[in-house]
Amino acid sequence: MENKLKNVLSIVFNVDINKINNESSPDSIPNWDSLAHMNLVVALEEEFDVEFNDDEINEMLNYALIKEILNNKI
Amino acid sequence: MKKLAYSELLSEHKNLQKSFDKSNTYNIGVISNTIVNQFKEIIEYNLLINNIYSKVTLGDYDNIVQDSIKFKEYDLVVIFWDICNIIDGFQYEIELYDNKTIDEVINKIKNEINLVFKNLSKSSLVIFNSFSDLSFSSLDIQKNKLNYLKDNLNTFLENNLPENFKLINIEKIFCKIGLDNSFDYRFFYSSKSLYSIEFYKSYTLHISPLILAVKGKSKKALIFDCDNTLWKGILGEDGFNGIEMSKHSKNGKIFHEIQKIAITLNKKGILLGLCSKNNQSDVDEVIKNHPGMLLNDDVLTIKKVNWIDKASNLLEISKELNIGLDSIVFIDDSSFEINLIKEQLPDIITIQVPVKLYNYPKLLRENVSLFHNLSYSNEDLQKSKMYKEQVIRNSEKNNFNSIEDYLSSLQLKIKVYDNEKSIIPRMSQMTQKTNQFNLTTKRYTEKDIENFIDDSSFNILSWSVDDKFGENGITGLCIINLLLDKKIAIIDTYLMSCRIIGRNIEFSIMDYIIDSLKKIGINKVSASFIETAKNSQVKDFYKKNSFIQSTKTKNQINFELLIDNYTYHYINYIKIENGK
Repeated sequence: MENKLKNVLSIVFNVDINKINNESSPDSIPNWDSLAHMNLVVALEEEFDVEFNDDEINEMLNYALIKEILNNKI
Repeated sequence: MKKLAYSELLSEHKNLQKSFDKSNTYNIGVISNTIVNQFKEIIEYNLLINNIYSKVTLGDYDNIVQDSIKFKEYDLVVIFWDICNIIDGFQYEIELYDNKTIDEVINKIKNEINLVFKNLSKSSLVIFNSFSDLSFSSLDIQKNKLNYLKDNLNTFLENNLPENFKLINIEKIFCKIGLDNSFDYRFFYSSKSLYSIEFYKSYTLHISPLILAVKGKSKKALIFDCDNTLWKGILGEDGFNGIEMSKHSKNGKIFHEIQKIAITLNKKGILLGLCSKNNQSDVDEVIKNHPGMLLNDDVLTIKKVNWIDKASNLLEISKELNIGLDSIVFIDDSSFEINLIKEQLPDIITIQVPVKLYNYPKLLRENVSLFHNLSYSNEDLQKSKMYKEQVIRNSEKNNFNSIEDYLSSLQLKIKVYDNEKSIIPRMSQMTQKTNQFNLTTKRYTEKDIENFIDDSSFNILSWSVDDKFGENGITGLCIINLLLDKKIAIIDTYLMSCRIIGRNIEFSIMDYIIDSLKKIGINKVSASFIETAKNSQVKDFYKKNSFIQSTKTKNQINFELLIDNYTYHYINYIKIENGK
């Protein structure tokens, strides 16, 4: 699941998959702006067949948090 | 593209982009008053798979008029102008506005639209989405203020649209995928981004024929296989009389529709052709003499009817017509042939006739946009002509003082068919479905009808009715039992579809029947009315045709007519002829 998750982030933000770690966030990934965040949400929802609510979307502040939120869903 | 997940699409998009020559970039500017960023990769990807390298530049958020100046040199400008964001919260605020304020808003937008028209007047192509209120409208019976504003603006657009603008009815896409799948309200409230990924995909597929046409990538020729593609059946096995493509037969009507769609395309300049494994002389015979065959040599530009493999034939077609393989669409019912072409000539678009035949016309129609061409003047002309006809039809109804005048203007024509085997299914269907104009309501299977036809003591008449506006198909049936030795005829069944009631057809037919019975020496006709819950309108039918009531039971009235006592109706505005 982690690989799948990293892969989605790498595609959406156009970064090398090896550079993604628990601390990855909008601060460390230049393409991770609010619009790309939307793309991330949509891509994750399709990939893992889940749906996020507003609060969850706002809490996805870095890779580790995304992983945690996603883990609670699947 | 539809099946591709969003992340797959993004990664495919990136991969494909690398391998393209970027010197011939197609520049697209997108202007919007909401956030539509996700549209960028989706349309770029779709054009890439059509061999077009494009670059989408997104305008500033909610800056439509200024952006229209910025993008005026672009190859294509797409405008998303959403009324829900004309003013923040507009979708609910508007209902509290008074009419004067709404009219002021409308005028303000119209002025802005005019500015956009002016700024982009020299652009090569502008796609302007019609205004829609469906994202925030309750589907209420009563018109609300948002509806009013939308209708008003769309009318303005239609009446003032410059020639280089194409108006896209965005609600067609909502219809196709459903309102709930079209919007993502989460992102509307957080980021003013209204549409879902699914919407962008469908929207892209909807508008891409326009771009393909500009880039000279529209399809130019539609090539048909014959057996089970243009007609039902296999000519080599079922024979000339065994294949079906008549509007009046169960299977044939599908193929009739297909041929009509093909002819419509031909009228717009699309080339039609055949590529079929058959004896050429057999197929030529069908083209020349089969009554159901609509595609004739006037519309068929090319025919490859032989026993050579279809890939070679299609290559020949491409050479002889001097068009690229990627300009050809090929239709066949056989998965073998379809796969052969997919493998050997992947540039040709193939369509396989679906097993569920009733989906065939729909499938072909869905692919019609492949042939889109920009010089729409011809079609526009036709469209306006059609509207005109409709207007005439309606106004004629109003213009005539009496219904007789109206009927006589219709140029009604009845074609009568005698014991016609090819329409047995339709005849059986009519006995089973017709309730109102049906004197005896006897239900017959196809086998029953066939037995009547084979039995020389029965005569089955059926008829179609045409008027100057078109054909109505086989819509009436009469089964007569002939007792020739007693010179008596018994009308077993007399029915007509409600589609043609009210035109005095039934009286013309009765004249015709009596006449033909006279000719074979009948001097007495008996008939009956069997009452059901639905057929009271024909209770007096035989009385109106000179019959005299003889006996009566609880739900049945029997009538008799001495044929010499029959009074002809002689309806002069109905032409009647033998269908053969």
